[in-house]
Amino acid sequence: MEKKKNNQPAKKSELKKEQTPKKYTNYPSIVDHSSEAQAKWAPWVRQGLWDIKGYRIVKGPAGGGTIDDSKMNLKEFMVIDRSEACLYSHSYGLVSLFFLGLLHGKLKGTKCPKCGTVYCPPRAHCWNPACKVEETKWIDMPLTGIIHTFTVQCLAAAPFEHMLPFSLGWVQVDGADTAICTMLHIPYKDMFIGQKVRMEFKPQKERKGDLMDMYAVAIPGQELPAWAVLQRDKQQLKMLDEATSATSRFIKNRYGLDNSNRGW
Amino acid sequence: MSERRVAVCGGGIFRPDIWRGENAEEGVAIAYRDMLDSMPGFDPFDIDALMMSYFSDHLNQQLCMGWIIQDYLGLHNKPGYRVEAGGSTSLDAIANAYYMIRSGLFDVILVPGWEWMSEVDTATTNMMIASAADTDWDFTVGGYYNAYYASLEVRHMQLYGETCEDLGKIAIKNHNAATHNPYAQWRMEHGKSYITLDDYWKSRLVCWPYRTLNNALISEGAACLLLAAEDRVKRYTDSPMWITGVGLGTDSMRPGDRLADFPFASFRDQAAIYPDFVKRPKTPYPEMANFGSMHVAALRAYAQAGITDPLKEIDIAELFTPYDGVELCFYEDLGFCGRGQGKDVVREGLCEYGGELPVTLSGGLTAQGHPVGATSLYQTIFLYYQLAGKMKKKYGPDALQVKGARKGLLTGHGGTACQGGVIVFERD
Ligand SMILES: [Zn+2]
Repeated sequence: MEKKKNNQPAKKSELKKEQTPKKYTNYPSIVDHSSEAQAKWAPWVRQGLWDIKGYRIVKGPAGGGTIDDSKMNLKEFMVIDRSEACLYSHSYGLVSLFFLGLLHGKLKGTKCPKCGTVYCPPRAHCWNPACKVEETKWIDMPLTGIIHTFTVQCLAAAPFEHMLPFSLGWVQVDGADTAICTMLHIPYKDMFIGQKVRMEFKPQKERKGDLMDMYAVAIPGQELPAWAVLQRDKQQLKMLDEATSATSRFIKNRYGLDNSNRGW
Repeated sequence: MSERRVAVCGGGIFRPDIWRGENAEEGVAIAYRDMLDSMPGFDPFDIDALMMSYFSDHLNQQLCMGWIIQDYLGLHNKPGYRVEAGGSTSLDAIANAYYMIRSGLFDVILVPGWEWMSEVDTATTNMMIASAADTDWDFTVGGYYNAYYASLEVRHMQLYGETCEDLGKIAIKNHNAATHNPYAQWRMEHGKSYITLDDYWKSRLVCWPYRTLNNALISEGAACLLLAAEDRVKRYTDSPMWITGVGLGTDSMRPGDRLADFPFASFRDQAAIYPDFVKRPKTPYPEMANFGSMHVAALRAYAQAGITDPLKEIDIAELFTPYDGVELCFYEDLGFCGRGQGKDVVREGLCEYGGELPVTLSGGLTAQGHPVGATSLYQTIFLYYQLAGKMKKKYGPDALQVKGARKGLLTGHGGTACQGGVIVFERD
């Protein structure tokens, strides 16, 4: 891998220039944590850029017709491995204040001055057609609400896999007319639709100003109703115990994380 | 507006599988040839325009794939463009072709559809598909359609009392039907034996209450469909399948916003049996339990087709159901039964083969396959052969033929039914 002859290191001044890219040259950045992100991810993006990294030859069924037809028609296919990576700089737009609020452990919503609808998640404009996209006003939301619905996940998309098993749900924050998607740090055995919850925040240092900064916990002292969907069918609770245990073992093997004793 | 009718004149299949060695343009070409073989009177020069049906750019690192397809088929001086609407892509491509022919501006339209979904690993495929959810507000938490749909199902389950066993019965119905379909991915994977409730409980729990057998497959595959105006139909087929109703609908991007869903505020009667122990949202229908876009789409399609009692009047339906609870909810939203009665339809077997209205005998998204841009085309071709009474000719000796079927129903939707449509088909 020693190929430095054809690839002379850049002069110091040039390097410095490259390492401090100005993305929004006409506008000042008031707070900028992006340079850290750039420094960490830029090399990864460069390495992952569109490029052919390898190939395989795969022999498999080919052609049209039914399953039986194509099983009889095996062909060799060349399969390449081609990478693609990028880092998006995305604006949260007019509802940026909500995400800034998360950084400070506050929950913000918006209210339409015309029809009074309260949005959490916030909308900068009211979607009630009668209000003709009226601009909404910011309000502070309480950190309490109820579970509108939920699920227990034993599988998740790649960025969340290491946290499995976990519960996701929609919480209708008190006073809001809509519901917000959030993680539920509540054992599924105790969980029910209509359950009163409190929104809590990760420690300040871990917050990134995104929805994962926040999660719901159960307000203690509530009676678990017999009509609750998971209480109606004890067999399902047992199956969930088995499935979530298996998931925890899988995560421990893959990530070395013990998620079985978090209490949710 | 022109009064002339529009028909599906047939189609071709490049069967779906978890991996196909051919690339997309070759798969579409093979499906196109399959269509040509079944249509001796067809001349490629008859085609007036193409509606390209495919969903994702992320999955294949190729923008404007439609141009490749059109030139690969040698049809590249004709008008053509892509129709894209998430899971609704292939249904909307058919709807668009219908509108164009019905307008009188075009006579014959080819709809090629495809999707190649296994170039990235399964977790990445799921992540990329989930980016059809709101990436600031929903995708950031858990990031997975399975979880969103599972949450919707839990809400419906709480309100209306269906059980996990009901969801299992739907999975069994669709998977066992797929063993009669020689193009079905499930039959490739599993063979021809039937599964039971026992197999269902053993299948892996993904997001409660959904198990792997409840979920759409990841597929690569292609299909082609030919639509033509009334006066051109005879050249291509002696059993045209007329389009007699097309209804489209939309709903909010984020399901959580459907608690204050103003355009649906008048649908209060649709939630008449709301249990009193659950807090009523500002607008009770569809909230996060049912699918309002599909309900209004069905009302629009039925009005055009003159259908007042869908359960009795429709003979066979192919529903677009990426998760089995969706099928149960659709029984209600499509008017097969009243609100909250989806579970009774399951328990009485009304939508099984031999029942009042057989649903998704192809196997559907969970068992036939779900290469998004081709999915509704496969289901339309399936209905075409059903209504023509020619199932055994195309799908082999053990195919499930609904005898004497005259009216067929197709649905398609994208996101959490953020957008959807219903098409009614009839034979002469
Ligand atoms: Zn308003």
